[in-house]
Amino acid sequence: MTDFLQAIVNGFSQGSIYALLALGYVMIYKATHVISFAQPALMVVGGLFAYHFTSELGMPFWIGMLLAIVCGAVVGMLVERIALRPMLGKPVFTLAIITIGVDIVLRIISNRYIGVQSRIVEYPGGNERFSIGDVSISHQRLGLIAVTTVTVAALALFFRYSRTGLAMRATALDQETALAQGIRVGAVFALAWAIAGGLAAIAGTFVAAGNAGIEQTSWIIALKALPAIIIGGLDSVQGAVVGGLAVGIVEALTATFQPDVAPWLGANFSLVAPYALMFVVLLVRPYGLFGTKEVERV
Amino acid sequence: MKLNRHLLRTSVVIAATALVLTGCRSSSDEGSGASPGISDEACPEAVNADNGCITLGIISDLTKGPFAPLAVPITDAQKAFWQKVNEDGGVGGYDIDITSNIADAEYNPEIHNRKYQEMRKDVLALGQSLGSSQTLAILDDMKSDDVIAMPASWNSAWEFEDQVLESGANYCFEAMNGVDWAVTNRAVKGEVIAVGYPGDYGGDAAAGVEAAAKANDLDFEKIETPTGQDNQAGAIAAILKAKPALVFVSTGPAEMATIVGGAAAQGFKGTFVGSSPTWNPALLKSAAAPALEAMYFQAGPWAPFGAETPGHEAMRGALGEVTPNDGYTAGWVWSYPLLAALKQADADGGITRESLVKAAKALTEVDYEGMLPPEAGATKGEPAEVAFRSSVVSKVDPTAPTGVSVTQELTTGPTAEGYDFSEPCFSLQ
Repeated sequence: MTDFLQAIVNGFSQGSIYALLALGYVMIYKATHVISFAQPALMVVGGLFAYHFTSELGMPFWIGMLLAIVCGAVVGMLVERIALRPMLGKPVFTLAIITIGVDIVLRIISNRYIGVQSRIVEYPGGNERFSIGDVSISHQRLGLIAVTTVTVAALALFFRYSRTGLAMRATALDQETALAQGIRVGAVFALAWAIAGGLAAIAGTFVAAGNAGIEQTSWIIALKALPAIIIGGLDSVQGAVVGGLAVGIVEALTATFQPDVAPWLGANFSLVAPYALMFVVLLVRPYGLFGTKEVERV
Repeated sequence: MKLNRHLLRTSVVIAATALVLTGCRSSSDEGSGASPGISDEACPEAVNADNGCITLGIISDLTKGPFAPLAVPITDAQKAFWQKVNEDGGVGGYDIDITSNIADAEYNPEIHNRKYQEMRKDVLALGQSLGSSQTLAILDDMKSDDVIAMPASWNSAWEFEDQVLESGANYCFEAMNGVDWAVTNRAVKGEVIAVGYPGDYGGDAAAGVEAAAKANDLDFEKIETPTGQDNQAGAIAAILKAKPALVFVSTGPAEMATIVGGAAAQGFKGTFVGSSPTWNPALLKSAAAPALEAMYFQAGPWAPFGAETPGHEAMRGALGEVTPNDGYTAGWVWSYPLLAALKQADADGGITRESLVKAAKALTEVDYEGMLPPEAGATKGEPAEVAFRSSVVSKVDPTAPTGVSVTQELTTGPTAEGYDFSEPCFSLQ
């Protein structure tokens, strides 16, 4: 039982990173119907901002993270304004390909900053642990879960109660109608990218504050948010959170129990498990757990 | 007859043209020396303008690969080493140019091979070939070209290759010594787990761990783990499940820190010993730092950057103001056998690729300026007789220049001492 609970705790904390990244994907998809492949680079850039503010400029962790969120949001907005706004009206496939180019450009720039060292953000409290019985979690991971919870709650309130949130929901439902109602759709696009950049910066900060920091190869972590958004549903905010947590928990449970329960699946099957889960979900619910069904007249 | 005269004229013109063209190609492509990679003309930016030039190649992992944090200082140290050799007058009337042929193979055997093909006609030898599979990818070509290489890896298979000059104990002996040390100094009993990358590096170390486990009557388990700090959940879960007294890790630094930090965060209290490439001083700032200080030890082929030997002092002097890193130490040490082979080839009648291969096979000692004992460089004889079996064990020490300081000097443990080294611990083929 302890192993099970510990795996859930581990998976929940790792899943929080995936959930933050998945939320970014969903924000952009809902607003623009484009899957942004620039999220991995935005995560790395955000983590590097946090590193710079804390380790290079000596700011406290939480202030450094807040500034990194702001900078990540600005980078997101700039990407939208410079690379994507001029392409409005083009097929979404074209825009998705452009985001791949943006990802490569941002990663080349950030790799120059990273160099050959790990860029590590020092988290206050180091690796101290909080324990209940035999189940424990580090303060850094606890901080990650708390920040993710607050962020998700803030986003939910923003969409439900603010005028801008309402405008974003309207734009997601129907861009032309939203435009006719006086909503500045371009500003909504920019805001979606800004939120995605800020969310990626939070994820990047906690990756940088982890056991090994940010390296040139750390961007690969963000790719695990892709099965998360497919599982949750491409256009669902709650789906992104549930999908991200599901990927983290399934990964941790598989790592803990698969070697005993199903050794015939081979070593390191936990790396494949999120994709196996995605496959099963797609068979049962092709639009994801919370995705909107598309009805087309044929 | 008229036809024959015309034919004769044409033949003469063709032959003359061919001679001229051949002459042009010879002088521009291969220099005036007797062997590729060696020329009577001065090196670019020569220290000694009257000397000829020996060109060495480097194929490393300088940007994207998992060992880039080590490979960059390795390469910088090798540049400094040969610069110092040039400032001391060069070797046999030649300066050494190691800066003109530096290639980044990204820890990829296919790219490694491609980079070698690009430089194979231009270099006398390889001052660095990083990675075991990577070096294996060019080994056949090296043999046909009579090119020797200094491996930036410690695989036990290199002891059985005449044209690869290894320095220090290989991963296999290093692992044996690490386990023997832990049994004696950390009261390890019960089970030992070897966690490492699949393939040559992890495999060679795991073979050493297995031999030491057998010798010390410990249970042994091997876990292969992929690269990537987000992919270590399986290894951590396996460690927590088995609760071994000792975990021997053979990964990159990021994976090692993730495994140690992750296991410690969930209450694991055993000992970790890592192969030499598992350490990076930047990890002292990570969330795993307290766990590393308490539980991690590094097995290594020689003393770290801050040690007090003439060789270490020469290295620090040549490098000047740099952030201490044991990549520098490795790059510096690895260069001594090549210098010894060049000097021997010169003493034997002149430096060519062929004479260098011959000299490399017959070294009885290498002057490491105290960084390793002279016999560590011996190549003359069977691997079982001449392979160097001693290694050091270091502990995390935030006050040390590279974050680790020696806790056990160069020692051959009982397992390594008695090991029948008649074949590589882990076959690369």
